[in-house]
Amino acid sequence: MSIIPDKPPFKILDILYKKEFILFIVLISILIINSNITPYFLDLYNLIDSTFLFSEKAIIALTMTFIIIARHIDLSVASIIAVSSCVLGYTTSLGYDTWMVLLLTLFSGALCGAFNGAIITKFAIPSIIVTIGTMSLFRGLAYSFLEDSYYNKFPKLVSNLGNGYLFGYIPYAFLTFILLAFVFAFILHKTSVGKKIYSIGNNPDAAQYTGIAVNRYTFVLFTLNGLFSAIAAIFLSGRLSSVRPNIAFGWELEIITMVVLGGVYIYGGSGTILGVVISIFILGMLSFGLGLLNIPGVGIIIFTGLLLILSIGFPSFVRTLRRKNE
Amino acid sequence: MKLELKNISKNFHGVKALQNVDFQLKANSIHALLGENGAGKSTLVKILCGVYQPDSGTINLNNKQEVITDPAVSLSLGISAIHQESVMFDELTVTENIFIGNHLTKSNGLIHWNLMHEKTKQLLDSLEANIEPNEKIKDLSIAQRHIVQISRSLIHDADIVIMDEPTAALSQKEINELYTIIQNLKNQDKSIIFISHKLDEVMEVCDDFTVLRDGQLIKSDKIFNTNKDQLITYMAGREVNQIFPKNHIKIENEIFQVRNFSKKTQFKNINFNLRKKEILGFYGLVGSGRTEIMKSIFGITKSDEGEIIFKDKKISISKPSEAINQGIVYLSEERQQLGITGLMSVKDNINMAIINKNSNFYIMDNLKEVKNAASMQEKLNIKVSYWSQLAQSLSGGNQQKTVISKWLSTKPEVLILDEPTKGIDVRSKSAVHEFMGELVGEGMSIIMISSELPEILGMCDRVVVMYRGLIKKVLDVKDASSEQIVKIASGEE
Amino acid sequence: MKKFLLNRDFILFIIICIGLISVGFANPLFITPSSISDVLTDTSILIILALSQMIVILIRAIDLSVASNLALSGMLISLLSTVHPELPVYYFIALSCIIGTILGVLNGVSIAILKVPFIVTTLGTMSIYRGLIYFVSDGKQVYSSEFSEDFLALIHFKFLSLSFLFWLAVAVFIIFYILLNHTRFGRNLYSLGGNPDAAKYIGINENKYIILAYSISGLFAGLCGYLWVARYSVASTQIAIGFELTVISACVVGGISVMGGVGTVLGCLLGALLIGLIRNALPAVDISQFWQLAISGAIILLAIIINTKTEQRKEKTVMVQE
Repeated sequence: MSIIPDKPPFKILDILYKKEFILFIVLISILIINSNITPYFLDLYNLIDSTFLFSEKAIIALTMTFIIIARHIDLSVASIIAVSSCVLGYTTSLGYDTWMVLLLTLFSGALCGAFNGAIITKFAIPSIIVTIGTMSLFRGLAYSFLEDSYYNKFPKLVSNLGNGYLFGYIPYAFLTFILLAFVFAFILHKTSVGKKIYSIGNNPDAAQYTGIAVNRYTFVLFTLNGLFSAIAAIFLSGRLSSVRPNIAFGWELEIITMVVLGGVYIYGGSGTILGVVISIFILGMLSFGLGLLNIPGVGIIIFTGLLLILSIGFPSFVRTLRRKNE
Repeated sequence: MKLELKNISKNFHGVKALQNVDFQLKANSIHALLGENGAGKSTLVKILCGVYQPDSGTINLNNKQEVITDPAVSLSLGISAIHQESVMFDELTVTENIFIGNHLTKSNGLIHWNLMHEKTKQLLDSLEANIEPNEKIKDLSIAQRHIVQISRSLIHDADIVIMDEPTAALSQKEINELYTIIQNLKNQDKSIIFISHKLDEVMEVCDDFTVLRDGQLIKSDKIFNTNKDQLITYMAGREVNQIFPKNHIKIENEIFQVRNFSKKTQFKNINFNLRKKEILGFYGLVGSGRTEIMKSIFGITKSDEGEIIFKDKKISISKPSEAINQGIVYLSEERQQLGITGLMSVKDNINMAIINKNSNFYIMDNLKEVKNAASMQEKLNIKVSYWSQLAQSLSGGNQQKTVISKWLSTKPEVLILDEPTKGIDVRSKSAVHEFMGELVGEGMSIIMISSELPEILGMCDRVVVMYRGLIKKVLDVKDASSEQIVKIASGEE
Repeated sequence: MKKFLLNRDFILFIIICIGLISVGFANPLFITPSSISDVLTDTSILIILALSQMIVILIRAIDLSVASNLALSGMLISLLSTVHPELPVYYFIALSCIIGTILGVLNGVSIAILKVPFIVTTLGTMSIYRGLIYFVSDGKQVYSSEFSEDFLALIHFKFLSLSFLFWLAVAVFIIFYILLNHTRFGRNLYSLGGNPDAAKYIGINENKYIILAYSISGLFAGLCGYLWVARYSVASTQIAIGFELTVISACVVGGISVMGGVGTVLGCLLGALLIGLIRNALPAVDISQFWQLAISGAIILLAIIINTKTEQRKEKTVMVQE
């Protein structure tokens, strides 16, 4: 009886087919091109400050990665940010203690997420449909609450979190993202929780038949996604120092792009945190570079949309072509 | 010759589904296409229907060579199939299902609903079927659906009608009606390819036969030149009595009882018991409630009333994880949907039910995983080259062994197998049977749902026969004849 | 008779009537003929878009890009009209339809040929098309004074004291009714959505139908681009933002199943009318316009839950006769 190896023999060429490797090459090329085009790019302070542009989205991208791997999607995250920001502004205006304000903000986000999760699992409705509904429900709640006014007073701590640096160098939002990325990578790739999420995403029915609590996982993941949206809302409100109901409009698209570009399969079951982190840097550096070149934000939106479609469309098109040639 | 296939070959990812197969169908005849599951019958049918293209070989229809590039071409050539799987449209009416893809239109290009309804009515009347053209398919019984499918082939004016196990889910009365329709078709100069596992019916209905095994042509001849035993030998490739390696094991006391199990519209008053080291068969038509009972026992669905007694204690199971913890596991009939997770590795599949046991405080222990996978692989002889190999790259038989490994990893005491040998090759099949014998020898108790009577008779100690959601009889296999079981399962006794 | 009373479309009709009457009690001005005619005019664009969205939903997909498509087509012809005010209005309408169709075909090709899931594709093009408006217009608006009289005249045309928009919606309804019930194309859409695997066996080319469905959705989005710009006499980057959700909610409320293959043209019309009624009735009963988004979100959720519940109940097969 021969011993079965874990993997086929290692070939150096295999690395080239790894999504993370390709993404890494893309990131390096962007850095090189950017620094050649404009001398301001490689400035350390500029680079660090550029992380403000994507850290809040990146935090949500981590939980969104889990959700998409588990064969779901959440289109309501940006609307949850709006709700949580309103709660943040409102509780501050009521004169609550800072910790109470933060607690209630986080709670509001988790509650929205739990609402998504409850409807999806209770009625067995696809998450895309449910979150299309809650996307306008939550955003609508923010509008009906704030109408055309806005909040601009937040606890000092919130403003510090949004604008401040640890040791004067590392923005808090970016630091939070990096720390959480390690935690999430560990959970997804090293623990039984991660293993179960992959099983659910690959074949939810089989996972249920294998005794995995699919509904409980789904519910918890959506609640977590709501909670993280609230964390992002705290950083964002602090940074912008003003909250209107249209805050973070369209972010769900950018967040999903981060995840999908990072090699997470949109129909669930595969993907890594490393890939998503690299793709976050790619998108961040790209928009930073385009910004330095004075290309307006709209250009970045169009570019993001194209990138999203092509990052899925191109590989599958190549695959079809190859299959036809065979 | 109506239809002539020559040297047809078809490979899927290196698996030879068909190798140089010849097939000849005479005008107005009924031709049985026989073989075990996985022998290549359905691949051959799908080639005729234009779903697959052969890698090599030629198809001659009325002595003219044809290339069937897609299903539409197949239909236009007059080939029509009545499939095992549902190719009906539940939300549409009978009329529309009959004319689907071929709606009649008025001169202005719009659909001629009245004419279609009228023709449907005539057709159904001529078949003496009591079906309203306006009914939706979802409201019909399985037998009525078959008749709609047959009507569809008639409307398309098909010369060749392929019937894939048309009688599998029918009662004896419905089967007799179907036979009449088939004979009528033959008298109208049509040729029929008849796929069935019921050899008695093949001997009775068919004119010619062709047997495939492992993708190769084994024998093709007139039906009156052969007999049932010979057909079985052709299909299995060895003597009949060798198929089921039943070990004679001493059965011990009762271990598992189901009392007064009922679920509205699905099953009613289900009572049975299972003894240690016993193999208990469940036989009945597709849709007789066998699977539904097992799903309720396993905690997938909830029964309305009833109780389960396991090792003299009443237990309650509300979800699969509770059943698994008690030592009761269920291997589903739908291997692709509910068993194997194709895009995960073989190792992950084998370990899927014991993820918690393979981790120390949530952190996965790779060594434990490999150990368990290796011991299972050795036990069941799964052919795998490395652990990270994706489960979908395995053959059907090895996939089934992988799913069985998944369940054995949990060290169960009661193993419920739902059609465990459906769609796997002959060798894996007998490996599974042999293994079942070993398991009961080690002290396990097995419930096996099967639609194959020889498998039930060969493997089980007792058999529970079901009809329309009710247990009609529990028989000792030693005293049971296949005729008797079939009769009870058709609701005639 | 009982079957008729339990018919979904009939129930929806009754709900609309009850709604109309109860709003009438709160504010009698709302149910005067001129006010109702205004509501109908106001809902016409929604009806047209809901009907074309229905085709996409029937084949188990969604087109989230319709509102952006509408805004982009509308902006392009508005810009052209400021440069060439002398061109006849039909020219602009045709052009708007063509632009919309091209944008729709792009969606279809991405989904059918590139195999990018519909949600990713239309989410992507939703922002691409919206972004392109900024590019072509430099973020500027085209105001009513910049349009030619001709350009705006058609929209004010009235027949039997009902507006051009209303009659157009009626025409589109009839076209869709015939298309979906009395042509092979329409019936094949139902088969494809109801059972895609089986549709393959009867020779329906899935890719062709996906591209066609999205083209139709695009065509009518383009048409509505002209209608929207002409009706509100303004083209900007912001027009119809979020309107795709209103369109989808009209379909869902109208009983078009997001699982594909189920739904009637009449139901879709009634769904759009109900949503239109609610949107117009809120101001009439003194509910702030800011509540609109939240209410349509809640309605989508409610409608989906009710649809799913009734569908699940139907699925159960009967084996034991009680």
